[in-house]
Amino acid sequence: MADLSVQIGALELRNPVLTASGTFGYGLEYEPYFDVAELGGICTKGLSLSPRHGNPPARIWETSAGMLNAIGLANVGVEAFCNDKLPPLRERGVTVVPNIFATSIDDFVALAARLDGEAGIAALELNVSCPNVDHGGLEFGCDPDACARVTKAVREATSLPVWVKMSPEASDLVAVGRACQQAGADALTAINTIRGMAVDIDSWRPKIGRGAGGLSGPALKPIAIRMVWELSRGVDIPIIGIGGISSWQDAVEYLLAGASAIQVGTASFVDPLASKRVLDGLDRYCDQRGVSARELIGGLKL
Amino acid sequence: MPLSRRDDLGNGYHVLRFAPDEPLDAEAGQFAMVRSLAWGTTPLLPRPMSLLTAGAEPSMLIKVVGEGTRRMALAVEGESYQLHAPLGKPWPLPAPGETALLVAGGVGVAPLVYLADRLDAGGVSVHSLYGGRSDRDLPLADELDGHGALDVTTEDGSRGTEGRVTVVLERELSRRQRDAIATRVYCCGPHPMMAAVAALAVEYDVPCIASLEAPMGCGYGVCLGCPTPRIEGGYIYTCVEGPCVNARDVDWSQGVF
Repeated sequence: MADLSVQIGALELRNPVLTASGTFGYGLEYEPYFDVAELGGICTKGLSLSPRHGNPPARIWETSAGMLNAIGLANVGVEAFCNDKLPPLRERGVTVVPNIFATSIDDFVALAARLDGEAGIAALELNVSCPNVDHGGLEFGCDPDACARVTKAVREATSLPVWVKMSPEASDLVAVGRACQQAGADALTAINTIRGMAVDIDSWRPKIGRGAGGLSGPALKPIAIRMVWELSRGVDIPIIGIGGISSWQDAVEYLLAGASAIQVGTASFVDPLASKRVLDGLDRYCDQRGVSARELIGGLKL
Repeated sequence: MPLSRRDDLGNGYHVLRFAPDEPLDAEAGQFAMVRSLAWGTTPLLPRPMSLLTAGAEPSMLIKVVGEGTRRMALAVEGESYQLHAPLGKPWPLPAPGETALLVAGGVGVAPLVYLADRLDAGGVSVHSLYGGRSDRDLPLADELDGHGALDVTTEDGSRGTEGRVTVVLERELSRRQRDAIATRVYCCGPHPMMAAVAALAVEYDVPCIASLEAPMGCGYGVCLGCPTPRIEGGYIYTCVEGPCVNARDVDWSQGVF
């Protein structure tokens, strides 16, 4: 067994394999499949102050090597999460990173404060980059100043590490990343989905009820790796890479390009064991090469 | 697991059979997420398919509607498939003393054939109504015929009674009401058909179970891509709360997605 531990700011993770928000439920859904505590961590479905029903159908549509989604942040709300989901996760020793979503800075602060009092939370991930809601998504994530304001307010409301999930649609991603770092972010998650669209040629309607949806899956990978690479050179805090990772080889690519950890997303839909397979493969790779996971991070030769 | 056999039933309908290492323990009405390992990254997602049989040779009926089913229709014996099953809620069985009235539309027949087989074996009286556009859209009609009475309808009159299956259903529900025969309706088919069946079940005050269809990303409750509008607001997640649901819980007015 290789040394797979990685450092995300002050937080040490047992390995760099996490699961992406919105693709792993609240972790408990995986009980029949594998021990989720083996993972570096799980990012929960985006939590809001009140429960949300999400968008009307159609919410998903498959595209070449990927899929569009516009779920609309359907979630149980932070209270139900704390009461029903967190205790069993804590009991199982799962590293839990709640992903939080709000439409105002005040609500982001309220969410952070609510979760700050709970035991068993490793960090908070701020969703300032959801493309599928009318308010609170890209308007924060694409603007360095707005993103910094959210980050700073949350930073002051919690003692937990704060990760900010980056939108690929910011015109200057590194500027947004730097603004978040200056505002006190402990790490950056990159990237959220990219808005895309598909059209039904029989009905002449969009395939996604809302029109556009977020593109995820392998189709995204080269774009996301490039963004992780640029961000890792432009900021001094760890980057958590995400976008189309479905194999351990993909994870190694991200680590070499500068990610300190990675998140498996859409691949979990295809196979509930995807994240576990990525972890096992990474372990074998490090073992065979005689390296630790830390030695891979940013190991890219130019 | 390897594909053991594919039977081309014509008009885009195929039955795929698989050879798992261990028998698949499932109930009628449950489904599988199905994907060929040869697909690579496109098509990416597994496809939700109702089980036609389980056990030593799980099988499913497919109809070619898109890229995934087009590939399945070309599947070759021995091709390696991923079958994530059993998933979802099965058909609830009839209460003691109830008879089963099955209403099938086209490819929706698959989970009803499985149900008819189970009910028949359990000594429950089964009567099936099966509708399609034409006689080429009635795959597995013979399988249903082997379990109790079968009434077939086609819209073009090429087989059985001309018209929609709901016309025959209304006649049958009326007769059963008159003769005080306790009945539970089970239906699976196109959305407009199931909406009409659900409305008739309300009108004649009989319980009705519908097997819903929705696009699915994962099939096990995490992607939240398969919402069916719920009558009291919000959504039924088709994969984990369905596919078999009480038809009265569904808001049928919201159309097909």
